[in-house]
Amino acid sequence: MSDVTVEQVISVIGKSNITKDGSMLSPDKPLSEQGVDSLDISGLLLTLEEDFKIAIPDEDIDALQTINDIVSYMNSKS
Amino acid sequence: MIGIEQIGVYIPKKRLSNLDLRDKFQIDEDFVKNKIGVVSRSLKAPDEKASDLCIKAFEDLQSKVSFSLEEIQCCVVVTQNPDYNVPHVSAIVHGVIGLSEQCACFDISLGCSGYVYGLSIVTAFMQANGMEKGVLFTADPYSEIIDEEDKNTVLIFGDAATATLLDVNADLTPLGYDFGSKGAGYKNLINEGKLSMNGRAVFNFTATSVPISINVLLNKLELNKEDIDRWYFHQGSKYIIDTITRRLGLDKEKVVFDMYEYGNTVSSSIPILLSNDLAALHKGEKIGLSGFGVGLSWASAIFKKN
Repeated sequence: MSDVTVEQVISVIGKSNITKDGSMLSPDKPLSEQGVDSLDISGLLLTLEEDFKIAIPDEDIDALQTINDIVSYMNSKS
Repeated sequence: MIGIEQIGVYIPKKRLSNLDLRDKFQIDEDFVKNKIGVVSRSLKAPDEKASDLCIKAFEDLQSKVSFSLEEIQCCVVVTQNPDYNVPHVSAIVHGVIGLSEQCACFDISLGCSGYVYGLSIVTAFMQANGMEKGVLFTADPYSEIIDEEDKNTVLIFGDAATATLLDVNADLTPLGYDFGSKGAGYKNLINEGKLSMNGRAVFNFTATSVPISINVLLNKLELNKEDIDRWYFHQGSKYIIDTITRRLGLDKEKVVFDMYEYGNTVSSSIPILLSNDLAALHKGEKIGLSGFGVGLSWASAIFKKN
């Protein structure tokens, strides 16, 4: 898998059932502080798993607070 | 062919407000209304049991359609929160209502997929035994097993019961079913003294398994999703209904949603919705049903108005 980018994660946010416009989200600010709730996160994680064909265990989720966290995590899995 | 003739419903009048829990669980009104989709939850009286709820649903059924008690040849209750472990709830309901001694009674232990499973089981049972009228009850009073401190579950579930009259001359009949289970995930929704739920796991299960089930069923019946006039999904939450609708690419106008005022009533959610629409269904229309949850299991069906 080639390196995952911020733009790719924002694209996944757009595909998920998240009502926020992904392009308006700050990559280094916790998603929870930008109006993304726990259900949105579940939807986002599922789409990430499907699109990038990886499994994200429950114990890893607490570390995925920002878009940058997600990008780093996805790249660490590749 | 045996089909759905009428549906009686009982939803207790008492309500608990989710808006009152906003501070406790650090959620806002938008989350309550547009994500969970439950503003208030119906709550039975402390001394009401599953059988009491069934009997009230049966009274509603009797007010909607005329039949004699002697005509009922089977009485089946879907529940996982029975009055007692022994005996089965259907026996209690049978005795209180005063059904015939020739009436068969048994319970089905299933959760949110239970109504659709029940429709298949009971219609097949009736068909195999030459029965003409039977009643399928749903009653799962989750208020008895909810942990009031658990944000994952306390905001969702409400109490209710339904009674569906199945009749050999009914004109809403099944075209086909699809069933399945992912038993390896059973711990994700479990009652070990109190109900607990791994919300992410149940969401993933539903978001992936239900669309597959619907597509398998449509293919089996050589139908397209556009051929279905109304969809009645188990009302797990607004978020899950929106997710299924989006992933299946369904017309939102065809997907029924209504749980704001009483919550997720487990196996009763689909028949509650259906009871509101039975009279409005036109000849030739097709409806899709899908229940999913505890097990983890699912059951989907397509019915046609003849």
